[in-house]
Amino acid sequence: MIRNHLLELVTFIVILAFIGIFLLVSANGAHTFGGLDDLGSQKVGEMTGRPADSFKPLIPQYEPPSGEIEATLFALQAAFGGLVVGLVFGYWLGQKRRAPAP
Amino acid sequence: MHIMEGFLPAEWCVVWWLIALPFILIGTLELRAIMQKDREYLPLLGACGAFIFILSALKLPSVTGSCSHPTGTGLSILCFGPFITSVIGAIVLLFQALILAHGGLSTLGANMISMAIGGPLAGLAIYRLLKNTRVNIYLTVFLVTAAADLVTYIITSFELALAYPAQVGGVGTSFLAFFAIFAITQIPLAIVEGSILALVFKYIVQMKPEILERRGVFSREQIERALSAENAGLLGGDRS
Repeated sequence: MIRNHLLELVTFIVILAFIGIFLLVSANGAHTFGGLDDLGSQKVGEMTGRPADSFKPLIPQYEPPSGEIEATLFALQAAFGGLVVGLVFGYWLGQKRRAPAP
Repeated sequence: MHIMEGFLPAEWCVVWWLIALPFILIGTLELRAIMQKDREYLPLLGACGAFIFILSALKLPSVTGSCSHPTGTGLSILCFGPFITSVIGAIVLLFQALILAHGGLSTLGANMISMAIGGPLAGLAIYRLLKNTRVNIYLTVFLVTAAADLVTYIITSFELALAYPAQVGGVGTSFLAFFAIFAITQIPLAIVEGSILALVFKYIVQMKPEILERRGVFSREQIERALSAENAGLLGGDRS
C-alpha cells in the first residue's frame, strides 16, 4: 500500500520539509520575504551605482494599486489554472471509468 | 523570475526579443496544427499549460528569507516541446507584465528567453539524455522540471550580467553576484516543483497512458514498466 504511493509519500515529505524550512527561517532573524524580482532590481542598482527607483519603465505599464489587488489577480491566475486541471483530469477519469483499460 | 520593466537597457531588450520571436512564431504554428488536426491532444495541452499558470502564480518563501516563483514548465516541455512551451510561457508572462507589473513589455523578450525558452530547453536536454535509458520515468520528470526551473534563474542572472557587467571582473563577476541571490533561493523551490510535477505526471500516466505513448513522451515499455512497478511496489529503488 505504502509502496504503491511512494511518490505521494516523497512529495508529502518534500512539502513538509519545505514548510519546516520556512518556519525555521522565519523564526530565526528578521526576514522580509520580499520578492526575488525586487532583490534583483536592487542588485542592479548596487552594480550600477544608481538607486533602484531611478530606473524608469521604458514602456509605460499598469501597476496594481495595492498588494490586495495584486493578490487577487495572482489568485485569479492560479484559479484559472486549477479550473482547467480539474476539468481535464475529470474528463480523463470519466473516460477511464466508461472504458476501463484492458 | 522577471526582470522588471526598465531594468534592461533598450538594446538588450531588442536582442532578447529578437531571439525569442522565432520560438513564439514556430510555437504558434505548431499550436495551430494541434488545434486543427490533433484535437485529441487538447486536454493534455490544457493540463500542461494550466500547471504553468498555477505554479508561476505562487510566490513561495525560501531559505534566504525571500520569495520566488516556480515556473511550472516541466510538463509542457516533456509533452509538447520547446516551441509550444514558449508560447504558453509567453502568455503567462504577458499577463503578468500587463496587469501585475511583474516584468514588463520591454523586458518580456528577456523573460521569455529565461522562463519560457531557456529553462525548458535545459529540461529538454536532460529529457533527451535520459529518455532511452532505464531511469525511472518519474525521476526523469523530476529532473527535467527541476532543471527547467533552476536554469530559468541561471539565464536571468546571465541576462542581467550581460547588461550590467561588474566594473572589476566584468560579466563573470556580475553573473556570480546575481546568481548568488537567485540560485540559493531557487534550489528548494525547484525540488518542490519537481516532486509535485512528477506526482502529477504519475496521475496522467495512470489516467491516460496511451496519449503519452502516442505523443512519444515515453515508450510503451517505459510506461508499462512504471505502471507495473507501482503495482509490484518496485518504485522504491528508483528514487532517492
